[in-house]
Amino acid sequence: MTCMIVGGGVAGFQAAATCRALRLEQAVTLIDAENEVGYYRTLLPQFMVGALPEEKLFFRSGDADPLLTMRRGVRVRSLDRSACTLTLDNGEVLTYDRLILAHGGEPFLPGILAGPPCRGIFPVRDLTTARETKSWLADHRKVIVFGGSLVGVKTAVHLSQAGFEVSLVVRRGHILLRALSEDSAAVVEAHLRNLGIEVCVNAAMEDLRIRDGQIDALKAGGRWLSCSTLLVAAGISPDTSFLEGTDLLTDGELVVSPALQTIDPRIFAAGDVAVIASGGEKISPNTWPQAVSQGRLAAENLYRSSPLPHRDWSRINAMELHGLAMVVLGPPLVGAEVISHARPETSVRRELFLVDGKPVGGALIGDISAAGTLHALINAGRPLTLRDAGLLRPQTGNVIRFPEQTGRRKALILSPKRSSL
Amino acid sequence: MKVIGVHMDRCTGCKTCELYCGAERGSEKKTLLAAVQETPPPQPRVRVEGGLDGAFPLQCRHCLQAPCIDACLTGALRRDEKSGMVIIREDLCIGCWTCTAFCPYGVIYPSPKRKIALKCDRCLYMEKPVCVDVCPTKALEVVELEGIEDLLRERRLQTLNVMLANGGEGIRLLDFERSE
Repeated sequence: MTCMIVGGGVAGFQAAATCRALRLEQAVTLIDAENEVGYYRTLLPQFMVGALPEEKLFFRSGDADPLLTMRRGVRVRSLDRSACTLTLDNGEVLTYDRLILAHGGEPFLPGILAGPPCRGIFPVRDLTTARETKSWLADHRKVIVFGGSLVGVKTAVHLSQAGFEVSLVVRRGHILLRALSEDSAAVVEAHLRNLGIEVCVNAAMEDLRIRDGQIDALKAGGRWLSCSTLLVAAGISPDTSFLEGTDLLTDGELVVSPALQTIDPRIFAAGDVAVIASGGEKISPNTWPQAVSQGRLAAENLYRSSPLPHRDWSRINAMELHGLAMVVLGPPLVGAEVISHARPETSVRRELFLVDGKPVGGALIGDISAAGTLHALINAGRPLTLRDAGLLRPQTGNVIRFPEQTGRRKALILSPKRSSL
Repeated sequence: MKVIGVHMDRCTGCKTCELYCGAERGSEKKTLLAAVQETPPPQPRVRVEGGLDGAFPLQCRHCLQAPCIDACLTGALRRDEKSGMVIIREDLCIGCWTCTAFCPYGVIYPSPKRKIALKCDRCLYMEKPVCVDVCPTKALEVVELEGIEDLLRERRLQTLNVMLANGGEGIRLLDFERSE
């Protein structure tokens, strides 16, 4: 019997590799709507501006695996849970024994863009569009990036470094709204302005001016901004269209358990499409490392009688914004206590968010030392001590003790320091 | 698999390992004198932690389930199948620093000037790691991990028995063993 995976992004790819590694005799079929699978989506901004050759976008491919079938360029039209079948848009019906849904989402496009086709407008999401964008950008140097997400900010920085005239337009009050506090975002915004990027906040998309079938200007926040290219990086909407009527959806969302299992024990989900119900909350971490670990866990759990829950729901993300390094340790929470080390004159801000004395998130801007240790501290879920708080100092190198986790390898102390015992 | 172990009772926190690691693995000229004059300044892949009450050098642990490998956005971090070590392919690294945020030991170091992450590969292609070679007090030692726990446990048990036979003198030093 075949294990079927829908989606060839990193979650689906990781799930396929894990399935093959765990169950050597079992065939795996991976279905993806794109013509290419197995590339680093996070590198598309570098690729679009010509800073990275296309061949470096793709995952390392090993020897061809006869039991791993890739079905590219086909979409799933419907799912029949009772018959355990998937129907593809070419009419083909495939039977599965276990199914992993990891098909991600579609780029979110503001309603105003739903009008007649207009050249020069591209979402930042997939390789096919990125190729078109790259070719378009060769003759069009004035770019507006719409969306203050990590992808939007990264795209704006790479364009700026490649010599484009760039405006970053954000609907809300500051960039990286879901990742950073207002104070941290202010440090990043100041850096972007220093790079020559125009940052427009509180600027919802209001109107478009089209000339000769291509974009000429965008009206946002009451201002007209002229441009020859509009790149949209306003997040994604999970694609659940073919799951309608399968009873897998709750209020339109594919909700799964912390073990990534849907209400159907044969079906799991991973990556951007999955909404995890954990402790009365719904979580969608939507980060690359989460997609990798979720893809792997979904594959591991497929045949377990008691699937194991995921143990790290953190939304860690990191970026280098041409001279400004930053690590997001977790999003800001309303009502959380904030402790910080701030040196705005050197573009450094390091902060932690505490709830009941325990760190739950934070951000390191300008100085990312001890990022991994602070991440481990958040995962440990213990109250912050004075010594732990010292990790917020820049250039810190302190180590602190944590309970060991499976698979980690602690420092091998061959003989202890006598006075320290 | 071989790993670098630490004799904490011998480590004086002198940072000689850091200096020579930086010069050997991070500089072009490979000498201390030339290394300090290079731009960007060479960076070590080992860090001496703690103070006088318990200094020890810390470098990549080459975890069995390495979170840095999963976090790497470009596949630059990978496990060397032969040695089992986690290594970085510098030509693939784009300096996004995601791996640094996933290393619970904080032993992957950003090198903003070179736009790559640096980490210990235990001097994979050298006969012996340079930090082990240069340690003036021989606080660092390359040991075969296979069976090391059994060996250490056996030695601690022997010490415990000696102490018990001598009226419990010094037994407080073996809290760890007793709790096991």
